[in-house]
Amino acid sequence: MPRPLRQRKKVEILSLKEAVNKYMRDGQICAYSGFTGFNRNPVAFAWETVRQGFKDLHIMDRHGSCCTWLLNAVGAMKIFETDWMGWGEMAGKLDISLERRYKAGQIILEDYSHGAMAMRYLAGAIGAPFIPYYAPLGSDLYNPDYDSLGRAGLRDGKNPGIAKKKFMQIEEPFFGDGDVVLLPAARPNLAVIHVAQAGDKGTARWRGVGTIDKEIAFAADKVVLICEELVPESEMRKSPEANQIPFFVVDCIVEQPWGAFPSSVPFYYDYDAPFMRGMDAASRKEEDLKKWLDEWVFGPKDWEDFVVKLGVKRMLDLKADSVTGYSTRMMRGKKPAPRMNTPLSVARSGF
Amino acid sequence: MQLVDKMPDEPAKPGEFILPELMAIAVAHEVRDDDIVFAGTGLPMVGIMAANMLHAPHALLIYESGICDGKTMHVPMSVCDQRAANMSSTLGGLVDTFGYFLQGGFVTLGFLGGAAIDKYGGVNVTSIGDYFSPAHRFTGSGGNADIGSMAHRTAFIILQEKRRFLERNEYTTTPGWWCWDFKTREWKPKQEVWKGTPFANCGPDSVVTNMAVYRFDKNGIIYLETNHPGVSVAQVSENCGFDLNVERVKGETPAPTYKELFVLREFVDPELIFMPQKMEYPPAIQSIIDSH
Repeated sequence: MPRPLRQRKKVEILSLKEAVNKYMRDGQICAYSGFTGFNRNPVAFAWETVRQGFKDLHIMDRHGSCCTWLLNAVGAMKIFETDWMGWGEMAGKLDISLERRYKAGQIILEDYSHGAMAMRYLAGAIGAPFIPYYAPLGSDLYNPDYDSLGRAGLRDGKNPGIAKKKFMQIEEPFFGDGDVVLLPAARPNLAVIHVAQAGDKGTARWRGVGTIDKEIAFAADKVVLICEELVPESEMRKSPEANQIPFFVVDCIVEQPWGAFPSSVPFYYDYDAPFMRGMDAASRKEEDLKKWLDEWVFGPKDWEDFVVKLGVKRMLDLKADSVTGYSTRMMRGKKPAPRMNTPLSVARSGF
Repeated sequence: MQLVDKMPDEPAKPGEFILPELMAIAVAHEVRDDDIVFAGTGLPMVGIMAANMLHAPHALLIYESGICDGKTMHVPMSVCDQRAANMSSTLGGLVDTFGYFLQGGFVTLGFLGGAAIDKYGGVNVTSIGDYFSPAHRFTGSGGNADIGSMAHRTAFIILQEKRRFLERNEYTTTPGWWCWDFKTREWKPKQEVWKGTPFANCGPDSVVTNMAVYRFDKNGIIYLETNHPGVSVAQVSENCGFDLNVERVKGETPAPTYKELFVLREFVDPELIFMPQKMEYPPAIQSIIDSH
C-alpha cells in the first residue's frame, strides 16, 4: 500500500507533559534528534516518556543517545533499529542496560551502518521508497541470514513502518557501476527534535551540526519540536537562510529551556561529561541504577524541578560562550581547558 | 617565533613518553598534507588533530556529524562536539558527510577503531560469538563500515591481543581485502565483490596497535612493518592469532619527537581527556619552555 499523501499541519504549543501524553504511544516507531549523547538530544521528552510509563517502543535512529539510555534504563524499548548501540562516546560508550536487556532476549537489535541509516532517512524525507547505497558489500550487515526483524517475523507487511526486506543487493542498471545495496526508506511515526529556536508557527533553527534532523522531520508522520526559545514567527523570517525546518511539517512545539541536558545545545549550553559518566557508572549495577532513576527521573516533580536540582554552579559552568558556542569552564578531563587561541592548524596553514 | 617552533625535531628517549602518545603520533604519520580525512572518536581523532598541527596543516578533517574542515582549539569528546565545528568550512549533516563527501568519492583517508581484525584487514565492531546470542556485543558499525569501505585508504587502531588478531572474524562489520560475496556465498577478494563500483580498490592500508604498525601486501594480507620500541618481533607474533608475516619488518616504530610530544600535550589534549597522564619534559626541553 502506498504511503498516503500528506496534509499541511497546523502547529500547537503544548507543555512537555501534554505533548508526551498526546504524541507518544506504546509500541510506536520514534526517532530522536542530535548526535550520540552529546548534541541536541531531546532528553526532557524521553524523560517524560519514561515517567508516563510508555513501553514497547521501536526506536529507529542512527545511534543511541541520552534518550535511548533512559528508555533502556527502565526497559521501555522493544526494538532498536540503528547502527551504533552506544550512547556516550568518551563518557560511556556501551549502553549497559541495553546490553543486559539484549542478552536477556528483551530487545531486538537490527544493525545497519551510520551512512545507511542517514540514507534511509533521506529516502524517507524525499518520499522515495528506497535508496541505493554502496557501503558495504561483503559486510555481515548485509548477510541475508542476519535480519533480526525478519527472524522475529516482523517483516510481514502488517506494520507500515517496518520494511518487508532489510535490504536488496542489485546490479546497478544505469551506468554499469557494479553491485549496489538498496535500502528501504525510514518511515517513523514520530520525530522528536530539540532545536535552539522555534517560531510560534513552527519554523525552526539550530546552530552547529545538523546530523539528520531535517531528514527525520520530513520522514516522520508526526513531528514534535522541543525548543530552548519560542519566539515570534516574524523574527524567524528575518534571516530565513538560518532556518532548517519549515513550519508546515511541525505538529507541536514545547518550550523547554535546558531540555537537552546533559547533551549540549551549541551556543546555549555545553554537554555535562561528568554527569554522563555518572549515568554510565550508575547503569553498571541494578540497585545503583534504581537509585539514580529515583533521584533524577522519578524524584523531580517536573523538568523545571530537575533543572533546579542541577544547581546554579553547574549551569554557570555549562553556559556556552557566544563566540565558540561551547564552554571552557567545565572540567571535562583531568585538567582545566586552556584559554582560547587561534588554532595551531590555522596558524600553520595560514588563512 | 612561536614556542612550538623552538622544539627540537629529534626523537624522545624511552621513558620520556607513554604508549598512547607513541600510538597517537604513529596515527598522525599516516596523514598526508593533501588528505581528506574522515576519523572516528578516540585516538584516531587525537592523531589526525596532531597531524593537522604538525606536518599536515592542509589536511582537511571531516567529522561525521556534518563538519567539513574543523579547526579545533579544544579537543572534541565526540564527532558532534561544537569544538570540532570551530572555524569549519561548512556545517551540514550525515547526508553531507556520508553522501556528498564519502560516497561522492572525495575521502582519501579513513581512520577508525575496531574490536577485532582479521589477516585481510576485515574489522569486527559488532559481536563475538553467535550473532543473535553473542558472548560479547559491541556498539556496532557506526560509521566504521561506510568509511572503511569507501575511503581511498583506511587505517585502523586496535588493541593487540591474540583473540583480536584473527585468521577470520566471527562477524565482519567492515570488509577487508577478502570478504563474503553473499550472492554466491563465496569468500572472495574485495576487488571482485566490489568490481565495477568506484570503490573496488579502496580498503585497509595500515594498522596501528599498542605493539606495532602493519601494512598489507599485494594479496591483501597483513604484514608487520615496524614493532614499537621495547616490543620484540617475537612478542608481536605471540600476540597474533594467525601466522604473521614478519619478513618485511623495517625496524622499530619511530619514537615521537619532542616537537610532536609538545604539540600533543599542549595543543591537542592538554585537558587529559584521551591521554591518561602528562609526563614531565626532560630538563633540556623544560628549559626551552621556561625561557620562552
